[in-house]
Amino acid sequence: MQINRVAIDDTFAEAFAMKATRIVVTAHNPRWAMHAGVSATGFATSVIACGCEAGIERVLEPHETPDGRPGVALLLFATSGKELAKQVERRIGQCVLTCPTTAAYAGLDEGEAVALGQNLRFFGDGWQISKVIDGIRYWRVPVMDGEFVVQETTPVVKGVGGGNLLLLCTGTDAALAAAEAAVAAMQRVPGVIMPFPGGVVRSGSKVGSKYAALVASTNDAFCPSLTHLAPRSELDDAVRCVLEIVIDGLTESAVAQAMRAGIAAVVARGAAGGVLRISAGNYGGKLGPYHFHLRPLAGSGP
Amino acid sequence: MSGWRLALRAQPKLRIDARALQPATLAGSTRTEVERVALRQGRDAVPLAELFDIDRIAGSTASQLVVEGDLSRFDHLGWGMTDGELQVLGSVGDYAGAAMAGGRITIDGNAADLTGCAMRGGRLAVQGDVGDLAATALPGEMDGMRGGTFVVHGNAGARLADRMRRGTVVVFGSAGDFIASRMVAGTVALGGRCGAHPGWGMRRGSIVFAGPMPQVAPTFVPLHSNVDVFWQLLARNLAQFGGPFATLAQRRVRRHAGDLAVLGKGELLVPE
Repeated sequence: MQINRVAIDDTFAEAFAMKATRIVVTAHNPRWAMHAGVSATGFATSVIACGCEAGIERVLEPHETPDGRPGVALLLFATSGKELAKQVERRIGQCVLTCPTTAAYAGLDEGEAVALGQNLRFFGDGWQISKVIDGIRYWRVPVMDGEFVVQETTPVVKGVGGGNLLLLCTGTDAALAAAEAAVAAMQRVPGVIMPFPGGVVRSGSKVGSKYAALVASTNDAFCPSLTHLAPRSELDDAVRCVLEIVIDGLTESAVAQAMRAGIAAVVARGAAGGVLRISAGNYGGKLGPYHFHLRPLAGSGP
Repeated sequence: MSGWRLALRAQPKLRIDARALQPATLAGSTRTEVERVALRQGRDAVPLAELFDIDRIAGSTASQLVVEGDLSRFDHLGWGMTDGELQVLGSVGDYAGAAMAGGRITIDGNAADLTGCAMRGGRLAVQGDVGDLAATALPGEMDGMRGGTFVVHGNAGARLADRMRRGTVVVFGSAGDFIASRMVAGTVALGGRCGAHPGWGMRRGSIVFAGPMPQVAPTFVPLHSNVDVFWQLLARNLAQFGGPFATLAQRRVRRHAGDLAVLGKGELLVPE
């Protein structure tokens, strides 16, 4: 299958169930909401060593937030509900509570509740105030710029982590441009984040390693410096640079939609833009319950 | 399932305890059973058929009970109700909606004292006035109203929401002395003027004065920090009640913390 002379591999991305939640952070103006969002979702590229995967889903307009102020929507994903709860509390406590003028709310309506402000309230040292409005409990913590208002809990849902696209390109510039275009298109899809730096990972991994201590290691099949060296190599001489985009989403359809948008953005650049092939990473289909086949996603149009 | 309409024939000689008039119970009953439901009157029990004309409400799907007439001598209407809809086309006596936990009660006329006392949930609305001690505690209890929404379109008497623990009370008209005295938490919103000693002894909780400025006691301190975020959450929620509360979110708010004679984590919110 070729679109715009970009080959679409007959393969699929294999993704996994993860626990996920959305947090809405508002602030006095968009700039400070973004400061809080960037800080809270920092160092959250991969659950391998970061505890969670997190990102800014989108910017929120004042009319979209509970208090009518500008904000951002954050998505966080972890392998277990317990770890997610820990990450939420830490990140909101260290990066949102601390950021001037912010407030934090749950961004989902239904799901199993985990602590959001429930334990952060103790920072108020006894001066904190609770208020139940329409069945939802908020905490008001006295801080130096006024009050930090935070919803007590946030619902956790089953999300999908590890949707991916591999962009096989003629060189570094082509790969970066294609990846950036794909990420820009995918950021417009609601319910997803691309947790790696700039949304892109250059060090795509495979499960296992020759070293007993490592759970993951370089994806030698897609390393251009191993083209004729690695027995599993999937590359030929034309492919000089491969970049991967990883997608975590609140639902399977959100991930599929993001992949569709990413593929469309890449094939729009075409072979003329230096993109040779689009592929995806999987583990033979035995590990992850979610399979995103590239060709149907590519064929269904933009 | 059937809805029932009861029309009062004549005023009872003694006051009646009407707590047996539960929409959910009557909905599942036959006409004969409904006619035999007995309401306590002093030491006696009076069957409904003796007091009311009883008709089915055609086409009702929910547990619905409509009671017509001047029920000022009927106390405990809707006591402990857990679900269903009770509508009174007239006034009621004391303890209307007391200890209710769910469902909706609408009273088209006035209610007397202790309305909505110890309410736990559901929605209670009085089109007219309520007497004293509305949304307060049952005798001997430390906390009063602890959930639900209580709306008074007219005026309230003294000691509204005394010892209130949780929930929302909205009064469109005025309130008497000691509004939200000894309040433990919750929200009271007042559209009209209030009497003396608002929030006397309040520990936590919020009183919103959408109407004229109350007389604030010296045990309350004005605070000038930014509470815009909380105010938006609260004001937007109160705006749904309309009337004097519709534009609360557009008004800036002044805040007085107290009552410092006790815990002092309560607040009087006075929109400008």
